[in-house]
Amino acid sequence: MTRRRWPGVTARTAALRVVAERGGMGVTLVFYVLVVVVLASLWRVAVGANGGNVAGYGAAAITWYVVTTEATVIALNNRLIADTGRDIGSGAVAVELLRPASVLGVRVFSELGRCLPRLVACAVVGGVLALVTAGAPPRPATLALAAPSLVLAVACNIVAQHAFAATAFWLRDAGSAWFLYQKLIFILGGMLIPLEALPGWLERTASLLPFRAMSYAPARLASGHLEPVLLVQQVGWLVVLVGLAGAAFRAGERRLQVVGG
Amino acid sequence: MFGHACVVAIEVQDLSKVFETGRRRHRRRVDAVDNLSFSVERGERVAYIGPNGAGKSTSIKILTGILHPTQGEASVLGVVPWLDRRRLAARIGTLFGQRSLLWFELTPRQSYRMLAAIYGLDRRREEARIGELGDLLEAGDLFDMPVRSLSLGQRMRCELAACMLHDPEVLFLDEPTIGLDLLAKQRFRELLVRLNTEQGTTIFLTSHDVADIEHVALRAMVINHGSLIYDNEVVAMRRALLSTKLVEVGLSRPAPAPALAGVTVLEHTETTMKLVVDTVTTSIRHVLDDLLDGLPVADISVVDPPLEQVIASIYGRSAV
Repeated sequence: MTRRRWPGVTARTAALRVVAERGGMGVTLVFYVLVVVVLASLWRVAVGANGGNVAGYGAAAITWYVVTTEATVIALNNRLIADTGRDIGSGAVAVELLRPASVLGVRVFSELGRCLPRLVACAVVGGVLALVTAGAPPRPATLALAAPSLVLAVACNIVAQHAFAATAFWLRDAGSAWFLYQKLIFILGGMLIPLEALPGWLERTASLLPFRAMSYAPARLASGHLEPVLLVQQVGWLVVLVGLAGAAFRAGERRLQVVGG
Repeated sequence: MFGHACVVAIEVQDLSKVFETGRRRHRRRVDAVDNLSFSVERGERVAYIGPNGAGKSTSIKILTGILHPTQGEASVLGVVPWLDRRRLAARIGTLFGQRSLLWFELTPRQSYRMLAAIYGLDRRREEARIGELGDLLEAGDLFDMPVRSLSLGQRMRCELAACMLHDPEVLFLDEPTIGLDLLAKQRFRELLVRLNTEQGTTIFLTSHDVADIEHVALRAMVINHGSLIYDNEVVAMRRALLSTKLVEVGLSRPAPAPALAGVTVLEHTETTMKLVVDTVTTSIRHVLDDLLDGLPVADISVVDPPLEQVIASIYGRSAV
């Protein structure tokens, strides 16, 4: 009897769901391509209008930045907070307490498994798009760091979303948490705009928050910036977020056990 | 009281759960479970029944470790559920009729792989167990079909296999046949009995379907307002609580209904008659003698009233 293989098996089984839903994967990729083509074109126009550089990003760099940030966000289940919050608020999560494994752990590994095939597909398609439309990134070697950074980014994001969704243990609904979270990722995570292009005070604020680990870090690396410290920061944030989400779920489960679902 | 764990599967002593609802001035106290005490031996098939809001789900949640009680003691397989939920989870199975253990996009076998890993089964044990359950539940051919393509009856057999994968000693079932058609229900009940007789699994069943109780359980516990109001064998429950018998008479020619003390005519046609006999007022033998003497009887039978009526009568007594 061994219980250690459940995280890997859970993630693999969840990945099979995505493979089985080929239509869903196709829609995700079409949406991804549309968003990337539009945003990258806009940014390249802005870069051209600004003398070939915006906040240190040239046309190729900004294209690689965009394909990466969009991959980190579009590969995720965009209703994760709402879905998790609904399961908590409705008491459905109580059934998951009847397993000899952590509720949060099973959910996180399951979501990672669902996300990774989409992430790989988006990264491959995005890479080809960027190569065709803007050429190789300024320092191709940084792509080797961007790959693990992408996985760390979605891991941080998934864990953080569970921490936010845990508010449903008290509020019965995580819909408002989702609205707030999405905006934080868009701006402070560097999804819409590279953090260097934000006003100084906002950039400094973003540097203190975990959202940069979820989108900005891999995009910064993929856009040719050799900054391995970003990976270290991501690992650090992942540890902190796992601690926070774990504490939130433990407290929530205790509350559920006392007041009922 | 908790010292004979090898025989006793579930032991509950003075268990209570109080919920407080509403805010501040409008705070209301609800006694969902109120001084509940009972014990279930290993290998029993128990129906745990009661009207909506009686406290069934709350007590099952306490027994599976999802809820903490306000006071009282309980042990399941020698484990205090709310203190050691995960250890208990590895030894019990739960099937809640409306909550699926399977992922719809995948085949049951693919979901079983994940569940087996969560329950700590190695690959060899997992394969062997899936094979055993496939044979036992006559569902092996369903395990490789996408769940979304299964009928509800087929899916429930696969759900039952999912909750039996880790070979639980006690199986908690909450409305397991809800939504199934008659044949699927009948088959599902047979499977539960087979699990109990062939694998020794203790069955703790909650259902509003009287046929589930009648065909699966040997013992019935009735709960209302959070307290146990009746606990006996299903057969004994029917007998002990019967103050009436139903007499069905086939007539060889039309005849008027008899006017007998303690007898009410329920239905009367040219060829049949259905009578309810109050056995407190008169004896069934006396009524049969009168009917045979006074009517052109072609056929006569005496049956117990349906179990629904018995259960309704228990609920009625507790409400008074």
